[in-house]
Amino acid sequence: MKKNDVYLIICILVVCGGIALITNLVTRAKTTDAAVAVVTIDGSEYGRFPLDVDTEETIRFEDGSYNTLTIHDGICDISEASCPDQICVNHMPIQYNGQNIVCLPNKLVVTIENGEEDDIDGMTH
Amino acid sequence: MEKSVILSAIAVAALIVFIVVVQSNKGNHIAAEISADSNSNELTKYTVNYLDVFDTSTDITGFTNTQDEFNDEAAVIKEQLTYYNNLYDIYNDYDGMNNIKTINDNAGVAPVEVDSEIIELIKFGQDMYDLTDGKVNIAMGSVLRIWHEYREYGINNPEKASLPDLAELQAAAEHTDINNVIVDEKASTVYLADKDMSLDVGSIAKGYAVQQVLEYCKAQGMNNILFSVGGNIAGLGTRGDGTNFKIAIQNPDLESSEPYIEKLSITDGQCVVSSGDYQRFYQVDGKRYCHIINPDTLYPSETFAGVSILTDDSAKADALSTALFNMTLEEGQDFINSQDGVEAMWVYHDGTVVYSEHFEDSVIE
Repeated sequence: MKKNDVYLIICILVVCGGIALITNLVTRAKTTDAAVAVVTIDGSEYGRFPLDVDTEETIRFEDGSYNTLTIHDGICDISEASCPDQICVNHMPIQYNGQNIVCLPNKLVVTIENGEEDDIDGMTH
Repeated sequence: MEKSVILSAIAVAALIVFIVVVQSNKGNHIAAEISADSNSNELTKYTVNYLDVFDTSTDITGFTNTQDEFNDEAAVIKEQLTYYNNLYDIYNDYDGMNNIKTINDNAGVAPVEVDSEIIELIKFGQDMYDLTDGKVNIAMGSVLRIWHEYREYGINNPEKASLPDLAELQAAAEHTDINNVIVDEKASTVYLADKDMSLDVGSIAKGYAVQQVLEYCKAQGMNNILFSVGGNIAGLGTRGDGTNFKIAIQNPDLESSEPYIEKLSITDGQCVVSSGDYQRFYQVDGKRYCHIINPDTLYPSETFAGVSILTDDSAKADALSTALFNMTLEEGQDFINSQDGVEAMWVYHDGTVVYSEHFEDSVIE
């Protein structure tokens, strides 16, 4: 009897702990849909790069031009590019929802999806 | 002894169950909040980017109930912008359409029958010429074309980049008299009376188009939309939560760790347009030459890194940002003070910022 009581109590504790853990994980999964940098070339999607993974990806075009996308500490940037105007390289790094970096010569756009909301709705270029 | 162990264990279990219940309630609460929000018309923010109008990057930000609703609105806006892009194009022909290029191609030859939207744009350009004492001149195509060729060549061949001769520019400037742009409203025609002249509406077309599209959207019952076409920003209504749109003006110093020079809160119908030397330029012997050419010197203006205009008409904002870029600070300040409801911000190359009297009323923080 005594022993069974203890087993029962342990069982209850384990089950309760398990439920607590699962609900915790479920709510966490719901709230943090990972932010991604979506790269499109002339309107069609080239790739999606999660902001929580540090990466360096060089996107090469048939004519030899390129853009290098860098993700570091949750921030996305074009670190290098072949385009003559270098506007994409000079553009500030991005991390907030809807922010983008545009390379007009290469028709390349990097846009943040599922990121945190910025307090800014738009900016002059 | 045994009882107290069991009791305390039950107490711990009860506590854990309590925590679990509270947590799952919290989850339900969040879910309830979301559904309540969508019931009470809480709007979601969507954005889309286009690269194919006005040779620049266009961002549309909208607050709507659904993605589909936003997509429909964005498609209408894009269609409208494309229409104006084609009409005001000076480099390309379009099937079944007479545009600014058609007018230029027929300079000294014949009047060209055009859409009323071209007539209106040219009349607006003439008004802005008068208003700014010629600091904005849509008849300067002959001069701008030379700079355009040198700039394009210089961007693509940096080591061979060079400047046009002053004599060449002066010869072209003989053919920039705006009085030779003959508009016949009744016949809906435009005629360039000098065969060596041409129109370049780059200083006003984007802003004019944005204003027209904004008014079209308003007439269609759209709301809560922010346009950003290159440096031209205009808002229709407010954000989804009823507060003003918040916009940022890019720091002309692209190397700076501060990406924005200023954040502004703009009310329904307000527009901001920035002109600067930091987006379109080329370098000759390490020196930067931007795309905004001063009609008086025929060379790029160098006084400011950027000028921003805040007013309630995107077309006017576009024209005046170019005009102020081509004026001294004192000329610009006198000009702005003479205008109702127009505010300006000047940014020097060293980062010094000068505001007109009420510009800072719109600055956030």
